[in-house]
Amino acid sequence: MIESLKQHYNIEQKDIRLFKIVIQKEKFLKTLSFISSNSNFITLSQITCTDWIEDKLFTLNYILTNKERNKNLMIELQIPREQSKISTLLNFFPQAKVMERDLHEMYGIEFIGNPTLYDFALENWKEIPPLRREFDTLAYVNEQFEFRRGREDNRDVKVEMKKRRAEAKRLKNAKK
Amino acid sequence: MFLDIFFMIILAYSFGFLYYGLYRNISARVHGRFGPPIIQSFIDSIKLFSKENSTSFGWAFYAGIIFMATGAVITMLFIPFLNHSTHLIGFSQYGNLIVVLYLMVLGPLGNAIGIGSNGNPFGVMGVTRGLTRLIGLEMPFYIALIGLMIANQTADISTIMANQSEIYNAFAHPLLFIGAFISFVGFMGASPFDVVGAPQEIYSGPATEFSGKFFALALSQSAIFSFTKLLLIVNLFLGGADNLFLLIAKTFILFLAVVLVGNVYSRFTTVGSVEFLIKVPTVIALVGLFFI
Amino acid sequence: MQEGFIDYQKVLDNEEHAIKSTQSVIEKAVDWFRSKSMFVLAYGTGCGAIEMPPTFTSRYDIERLGVVGVATPRQADILIVSGYCSYKTLKRVIRSYEQMNEPKYVIALGSCTINGGMYWDSYNTIKRLEDYMPVDIFVNGCMPRPEALIEGFVKLQDNIRNAKRKAGYIKYIEDNEFYKANQRKIFGDNIEPTYEANFEGMN
Repeated sequence: MIESLKQHYNIEQKDIRLFKIVIQKEKFLKTLSFISSNSNFITLSQITCTDWIEDKLFTLNYILTNKERNKNLMIELQIPREQSKISTLLNFFPQAKVMERDLHEMYGIEFIGNPTLYDFALENWKEIPPLRREFDTLAYVNEQFEFRRGREDNRDVKVEMKKRRAEAKRLKNAKK
Repeated sequence: MFLDIFFMIILAYSFGFLYYGLYRNISARVHGRFGPPIIQSFIDSIKLFSKENSTSFGWAFYAGIIFMATGAVITMLFIPFLNHSTHLIGFSQYGNLIVVLYLMVLGPLGNAIGIGSNGNPFGVMGVTRGLTRLIGLEMPFYIALIGLMIANQTADISTIMANQSEIYNAFAHPLLFIGAFISFVGFMGASPFDVVGAPQEIYSGPATEFSGKFFALALSQSAIFSFTKLLLIVNLFLGGADNLFLLIAKTFILFLAVVLVGNVYSRFTTVGSVEFLIKVPTVIALVGLFFI
Repeated sequence: MQEGFIDYQKVLDNEEHAIKSTQSVIEKAVDWFRSKSMFVLAYGTGCGAIEMPPTFTSRYDIERLGVVGVATPRQADILIVSGYCSYKTLKRVIRSYEQMNEPKYVIALGSCTINGGMYWDSYNTIKRLEDYMPVDIFVNGCMPRPEALIEGFVKLQDNIRNAKRKAGYIKYIEDNEFYKANQRKIFGDNIEPTYEANFEGMN
């Protein structure tokens, strides 16, 4: 199956069971319809996204699995970071509905044609999508919540552990 | 007369609760652990009476629970406790076995009235399951009791008890006893027929909305009712008892058998239990009718 | 109505704790009975729920203390909040807590309820449970072993009998403004109705 696909695309093998194709965003629908109808890779396992903030890109990865469940094929493409839009895969794989809803909530990617792009795991969320790298989790948490004051006899962990290890070493050397 | 009735109620209440505590203890030892103390049910009851109510219910909810409790007490009063005696017999000379069987249905009916008026969907599901299961449970039980009534030519419980002086009915009519015992396990609420109040499936079924005083009354009703059913089987099949110690011993042995059967088996579904009960124990009891 | 996030330490510094000596004999006896039979709501809210089944079954049997699991909030006395609470979970937990009948107690399991625990820098979980619900006993650990949970139950029994501090459900009624203000900060206005019959605030 892989050999027959190698005539059309440039496939590289990442691992024993993992193969990868890198395509352009414009050829996305044609590629996927060709692969899902002409080969054994008929199941969409996952859609993942990586945030490259320095190059101003999102990298989307569509992972397909074959019918015998022993090979995976990754299809990678890049979309711009601002105003990121791409068409939906709902017509080929019905499970893409939930995966795209998740990605829309966490990264802000808009999937054209998906009617269920409302909130999934976050309720009453008023900030930017939280898995983007410009969202500073630490600043948000420190502003929103208040932590407990420590105890009065509080000690710093690193300093204390260093002291205790030095003490134990000294005792061991004194015994010899 | 009134002293009689008062003592009967006190005895049924305390022994019902003690037997429920014993049920938890014996189940615990079967599982390999120690259980709570035996008087745990009394402590639960007192704690439940002291809880506050947070919502208000219509009049039918209160009526349903009182219906259940009254049904249990009245059924118990029509069964004589002792054989060949004038103490602790209650109203049994004014009624017979047919009245007792009629009054035994008041429990699930009161449940249905109370929970049905509330509208909690889990409660309604539990009530329909309970009434469906009752259809299956009643058939072998009634056939066995009708067989006994034919054999003794009377419907009076005291007479049936007194006729067992040579040999117990359990050994004289063994097939009837087996049919009645299988459905009796379901009446006591033990596996494999305990799908009604299953807490893992439908959030305690009919008792979903019961809180505080209602739950305590439901527990008391269930304790008194269990003791009543134990008493009925002991009187009809195991010869009754002449004094209180023998009564306690016989009911305890029967109760132990039910508990041990209940701990071993898993649960039937509602439809599955009705199908089983209509096929196996009914046929056994019908065959036993031929050998009277 | 107070707005925003309020530091509970100020509230604690101003109140006086209930002392048991002003109670009558009957109330003391009823409290003894309450401590001997406690019904726990069978609700595992987080990853700490993995430590509840070993506690309730044969090896670390807690039924000896009279503790039983029940299925509905109407019959339960104790709610065990086991582990972290995201915003979604916390709303449902508070709804279950408000459906229980009084007297009711809350046991908070794990370090995530004390100061955030492993998820202290997460945008979606709460850091201190006692700002949103009144807590009676904290059991720390990640996760606490069944022996630690049993010790928490024994301490709760001791607290019920001797009343060293005000019980949680009394705090929830008296300081309701504080709890509702904190809940409103994270849920928006979509929260459960308050104890006053404030019809224009309800939705």
